[in-house]
Amino acid sequence: MTDAPVTTHKDLSERTLGVLLLLPAALLLLVIVVYPIATLFWNSLHSVDQANPQTGEFFAGLDNYTRAFADDRFWSSTLHTVLYIVVTVPGSLLLGLGLALLANQPFKIKWPVRLGLLLPWALPLVFAGLIFRWFFEYKTGVVNDWLVRFGMDPPQWLSDPTLAFWAICVAIIWKASSFMALMLLAGLQTIPKSLYEAAEVDGASKWQQFWEVTLPMLRPAIFVALIFRTITAVQTFDIPYAMTGGGPGDATETLAMYIHKTTLDFLDFGYGSALATLMFLISVAATSGYLRYTRRSSGRGKDD
Amino acid sequence: MKACKLVLVALFGLGLAAAASAETTLRIFTGGQQRPDVMRKIADEYQKKNPDVKVEVEVGGATSEAQQQYLSTVLSSKDSVLDVILIDVIRPAQWAAQGWAEPLDSYLGADKAKILGQYLKAYVDANQVNGKLVALPYFADSQFLYYRKDLLEKYKRPVPKTWDEMMDTAKVIMDGEKNSNLQGFATAGAPIEGTVCTYLVPLWGSGSDLTKDGKLNLDTPQAKQAFQLYGRMKQAGVLPKNIAEIPTDRIRIDMQAGNMIFGMTWSYVWNRLETDADSKVKGKIGVTMLPHDPGGKSATCIGGWQLAVSAFSKNKAEAVKFARWLSSPEVSKMQAIMASHMPVFPSVFKDPEVLKANPWFAEALPVVEGARSRPVSAQYPQVSDVIRSNMNAYLAGTKTTEVALGDMKSRLTPLFK
Repeated sequence: MTDAPVTTHKDLSERTLGVLLLLPAALLLLVIVVYPIATLFWNSLHSVDQANPQTGEFFAGLDNYTRAFADDRFWSSTLHTVLYIVVTVPGSLLLGLGLALLANQPFKIKWPVRLGLLLPWALPLVFAGLIFRWFFEYKTGVVNDWLVRFGMDPPQWLSDPTLAFWAICVAIIWKASSFMALMLLAGLQTIPKSLYEAAEVDGASKWQQFWEVTLPMLRPAIFVALIFRTITAVQTFDIPYAMTGGGPGDATETLAMYIHKTTLDFLDFGYGSALATLMFLISVAATSGYLRYTRRSSGRGKDD
Repeated sequence: MKACKLVLVALFGLGLAAAASAETTLRIFTGGQQRPDVMRKIADEYQKKNPDVKVEVEVGGATSEAQQQYLSTVLSSKDSVLDVILIDVIRPAQWAAQGWAEPLDSYLGADKAKILGQYLKAYVDANQVNGKLVALPYFADSQFLYYRKDLLEKYKRPVPKTWDEMMDTAKVIMDGEKNSNLQGFATAGAPIEGTVCTYLVPLWGSGSDLTKDGKLNLDTPQAKQAFQLYGRMKQAGVLPKNIAEIPTDRIRIDMQAGNMIFGMTWSYVWNRLETDADSKVKGKIGVTMLPHDPGGKSATCIGGWQLAVSAFSKNKAEAVKFARWLSSPEVSKMQAIMASHMPVFPSVFKDPEVLKANPWFAEALPVVEGARSRPVSAQYPQVSDVIRSNMNAYLAGTKTTEVALGDMKSRLTPLFK
């Protein structure tokens, strides 16, 4: 009995201390995350068109949203973004998995492999975009140089909508797969060797080991990697911006590029905020899809 | 001991305060393409004349768009960090609407008409919005036709006056030279600001315009022909195949390497072609006015950079004084000699020292005097985006004339109500 008040007291002070310690971080998050998001949402419900300041700022309800749904360019840039997601997320997962498996091999000297994995990831996105723009350049690019050496007609990679799309996908996959590989490599290293030894004793081939041991054990890492990659794919901006500037016309423009243009070039902050909110919803939808799937599958795991 | 320290600290503090009150620091913003090195030298000159003023030069953004994106962020938040800002000639209307630029009329006072009368008229017009002076001209610019003098002489062709003459001449030379790297003609085709002029120059050269009495005027045959001209050039092989990927400076690079017969580009190119160490065309380049339609008149886009005083500056009076000096015949001459920036005063064009550095300025004056403004609108960035993306799509071959013009009309109509 005598001990009880003391422990509660201790608990309380520990809790207060905990809250106090969390407070700076919470305040920081409030200022740099919650406040801007709230402002964004608030702006999306208002007419804040700085190119026409004489119209003033006023509450516009859902006008900005209905405008987006009637805006061809919103739909086309969203479609381009979805296409980039559909191609580059699985693309970078497959390439990343291959790289991770390679890096997980017992090499004598590990650092060149690891460094090779880290470099594309460490490179700024816009750098990668510029490098690939030079690769795919019509007259001086290395890609067309090789095609000409093999006697083929050099295509105009960056001014043909379809070719430009694929060129951009190649650049994104190259850039993103090293990040995927790093995530998956971390996952691979948590798989106990004993599982492979057991599989070998049971007579499983390397291929069977991959399907029956590696992939199932790697599933959590794959999901985390996919979630991260999908979120960044929804926000695709730098690489197409540097490679084509959205051209030809706006055939390779992504939603993020359209938002950038609407706010920073056209100064229409209300409409830009509505577009950004819609992009946020797309991110949430994609992520919650994954989360629901993982929860269901991990739930099933427990029932077994 | 302690007292001594205190006294020292106090004295030091006083000294600092005195120094701060004696010196004004002005911060000027310029783009990376507007020769910040020359701006620094000019600013040093100003500091010598005004020992109580310190000038800091801030450099940012390699393109007009990139600079404006940065400035939009700074000025939307009413930041007072910049005092004088170099802005593109297409911006004054937008800047006036935003209230970003300090109106300069009251600073010029009763002398306003006299002072403005000394400038090239096109720049006085470009910097005034609804009768208010938004900025002062810093240097002039416009597009010219650069051509290979040596090749024209070799094939005994005159300097072309019309687009068709230019195309024929280019074809004759390309057929004769049999050099697969040699291109006929190039202009900006990538989805960038310069591509707006790619559309407007032939439109103006045919006697038409984008707007008429403030209303959109694209239901004319000329509006179509401005696209089709490039279609014909592409078919004839005179335009490079990848024209839709070509930004402004690429034209200079190709000319400098000796791989281009004709180029439609800005005045900075001359200095580079004549003085760069790797230029293969030194002394082989001619500059003339742009071609036009047989019935029309040569036209060109007005370019150049203006000095705006930030409405949020804390040293407006000093900033205006500095801007007025930068916008003087004296500085215009310095720029012309150091950077071949075109003067904004007709009198400076005729200065013997300026002509010695830039012999072609004699012919350039009438061209600049006739240069025209891109559509004046507070929403110019949107207008520009519509024109350049449709021109770019047409040059890439992804839109036909009808589709490109139709899209342009439907998206420009709400901007010119």
